[in-house]
Parts: sequence; C-alpha cells; structure tokens
Amino acid sequence: MKKILLALLAVAFCLPSMASIRQKKADKDTYEFRYEIECAGNAIEGTYLVKVWTYSKKAALAENQCRKNAVHGVIFKGYGGGQGCVSQRPLAPNPGIETQYKDYFNSFFANGGEFQKYASILGGTTETVRVGREYKVGCVVSVRKDDLRKALEAAGIIRGLNTGF
Amino acid sequence: MKRYIFTIALALVALVASAQIKKPELMVIPSDVWCIQNGYYTEVENMGVTAKVPNYKQALQENIGLKLAIAKLNNLMAERQFPLQSLEQTIKNLEQRRMEDNMTVSKAGNELSESALDEVARVAKCDIILELTWEMKDFGPKHSLVYILEARDAYTGKSIGAASGTGAPSMSADVDVLLEEAIVANMDNFNDRLMAHFQEMQTIGREISLDIKVFANNAAGIDLETEFDGEELVDIIENWLQLNTIQGRFSRQYSSENVANFTQVRIPVYDDRGRAIDANGFAKQLAKKLKNQPFNIPCKVLVKGLGRAVIILGEK
Repeated sequence: MKKILLALLAVAFCLPSMASIRQKKADKDTYEFRYEIECAGNAIEGTYLVKVWTYSKKAALAENQCRKNAVHGVIFKGYGGGQGCVSQRPLAPNPGIETQYKDYFNSFFANGGEFQKYASILGGTTETVRVGREYKVGCVVSVRKDDLRKALEAAGIIRGLNTGF
Repeated sequence: MKRYIFTIALALVALVASAQIKKPELMVIPSDVWCIQNGYYTEVENMGVTAKVPNYKQALQENIGLKLAIAKLNNLMAERQFPLQSLEQTIKNLEQRRMEDNMTVSKAGNELSESALDEVARVAKCDIILELTWEMKDFGPKHSLVYILEARDAYTGKSIGAASGTGAPSMSADVDVLLEEAIVANMDNFNDRLMAHFQEMQTIGREISLDIKVFANNAAGIDLETEFDGEELVDIIENWLQLNTIQGRFSRQYSSENVANFTQVRIPVYDDRGRAIDANGFAKQLAKKLKNQPFNIPCKVLVKGLGRAVIILGEK
C-alpha cells in the first residue's frame, strides 16, 4: 500500500515538471524557427492573417504555441505570398537582432508574456496531423502587426519610418 | 541666474531642433499611364509634336477611386508619422494664389511683379513622388486588380522602391474594395523600401543634383573655362566637390564652357556647425567660396527643393 502511495506521489511530482519540459521544448522549437508560417488571406487593416504549423508531441501544447510562433514569425521570419496574398518581410529584418535583444525577447515570449496581446487564434481553424511520433498542428492566427511594430519601435528594437527626422 | 538658465535651455532646444535632418515631403500622384488610359489628359502642341499631359485636377474631380486611394495612402502614412502632401490641396492653393495675385493692384494701378520662375518655385514641391497605377483585369467571370505604387526622387528621378502585385480574383468585389485591399496589403513592403532609402541617406548622405550655369555676356566676363592660377573654373568646382561631398561621391554628367551638371552628389546631412542642410545650403557654401578671394565671382543660387540646386555665375 505504501509503495503504491509513494509511486502516486512520485507521478504527481513529475507531472508538472514534464509539462514544463514539454513547454521548454516547444519554446526551443520556436527560437530555432521549427514551425511553418504562411499567408492565410487578406486581413483587415493593421493585422496579418497567418496560418502557423507547430510541431509537438502534445497536440494541446502545439495549439497554445501557435500564437507564440505566429508573433515570432511576423517579427523574425516573414512569409511568402501567392494566390492573391502579398508576401511580407519580417518586422525585424536584421539578422542577429534576436540575440542582441535576448533579454527583451525572453521576457516578451515568456509564458503569459507580452506576445499574447498581439495574437489571437481564429475559432474553428485548428487542424491536427500526426507526423511520425509527434503532431503537426495548424491554426489561423490574426496578428496585430501595427501595434506590434509600434511596441518594438518604442522599445528601440526596430527603427520607425520617421526615425532620424 | 534664472535668465541664464532659460537662455541656455532655449539654445539647447534650438540646437536639437536644428540637428534634425530635413524631412522629405511626399505626395501621391496618379501615374501618366493611368491618367491617359482613363482619359484624364490634355493634348499640348510642342514644336510640332502633340504630347499628352496628365490632367490631375480633372482626375481628382471625376474619379472617386483615385480620391479613395490617396486618402487611404495618406491615412497609412500618417500612421507611420509621415503625412503626405495633398495633390488636390496643392492644386487648389496654386489656383487660389493665382486668382489673388491677378486681383492685386496698387493704388497707382500697378499689378504684382512676378517672374514665371517665381510662380513655378512657389508651387508646393515634394521631394518624393509616389506614383500610383491600378487596372482591373478580367479572367472569365472573375476580375482582379493589378496595382503598382512606385516612389521616385523628384530631383534625381531615381526610383526609390515600388510595391506591386495582382490581387486575388473575385467575382463580386468592386474596384474600390479591391484597390483598398491592395493598398493595405502592399503598404508594409513599400514602407520597408522607403525606410531603406532614408537609412541610406542618413548613412551616406543626401543625394542631390547640382547644376552650374553662366549668365550669357555677364559683366564679370567669366565662364566655366576661365582660368585661375592656371586651373579652369570647372576643375576648381570639381575639386571643391571632391573635398566637401561624402567620400568624394559625385559624377560630372556633362560640362561645357557654359554649363556643368553634377549628379549623384552625396552631401552631408549636417554642416560643420551641426545644422541640417539640403541642396540649397550646400550650393550656398560653394557660392560663398566663389564669391570670395581670389575668384570674386558674383553668383545666384536658385532654390529647387531639398535635392536640387542651381548656381548661376556671372551676375547676381
């Protein structure tokens, strides 16, 4: 009986740390650009509509990570166009800017961080595909790029069109 | 004591304000091809050749799509702290001033004296022209919009950047909706190119063109081939440019005894006292050198905007 209780306690202790490990792995994937971002149509003014494909062993985690990846993609990756969509360059086109402002972006992309303000998943757009031993989850995300750009300009990370005048 | 602090603070504010680079003025105009395709032009006879000249006023009065496009572009640029000059307002201002001047007479009945050059110079000029073109293309029952927005330096004529593309085919959306969609979708890419141009200007200087001309039969009796200490005046000017442009960047496009055209002249955005300068300020520095010993050449500097200057030698 004692053994069973001990085992249950051990599992209970491990569960949160497993979730934390998975989250860390998902964040690592984000920083290593292990996600896909594509145009999902013409958005309303001030926003981009993107489809993001995220990989994870837990489908639910991947869905949560979609918003983070969408914002990350708009800032650092940009996306291609085609079929009436216009390709967009990243908001921060200088390579190395992510490393230069590491502290800022660590806090920006932390769980519950500022990135949440700029992205929302469109309901009913989630697709899940099993790829080998993990899931590939696709969501359509609306990113408020004008507000995001203003925040990055205010933080001195990217230049505004008006800078220097 | 308070007065001293106030004076120092005022001087600092003035220094900071003057240290800002002069901001270019931008204006959207419909392209020649759009105006001609849509019938907004007038035919002008010039030396036996009939030329089609865009009629912007007619286009603005008759085409709601153009007004919508300009309003949308202005809105998006204002959002980036770069409001555009209004083409419509510029035309109205010009007409208003012309009307006022025609009605102004002195007590003795004399009219205002104004040269044709004054009239041209006082028109609100822009430094960067944004040329807009769009056209609907039909693909069976569907139609889509082809859109081009190109920025050009008004003085050098160089293309700064463009955004273009064909929108998604649609069966129901009308031209105004598709145009607005195209503007919104392409604006960020366009602004990226504009920003690259501004960054380049802040790094390697403002690109201007400089024309040196000579008054015919001038009282000083000089031209660009006049020699000073065995060196022709045009070479003296070139040496000055070599020393005063950024990294000696300029090219002599054409020169004769009466005219010298220098293009791709990269001038610093601040003078040696930290004040923002443009083509006019740069040309005045050169004119000052030519007016002084040993040259003593009377010069006239014509203001042509931020990116073009003309110095006329021989008389004031």
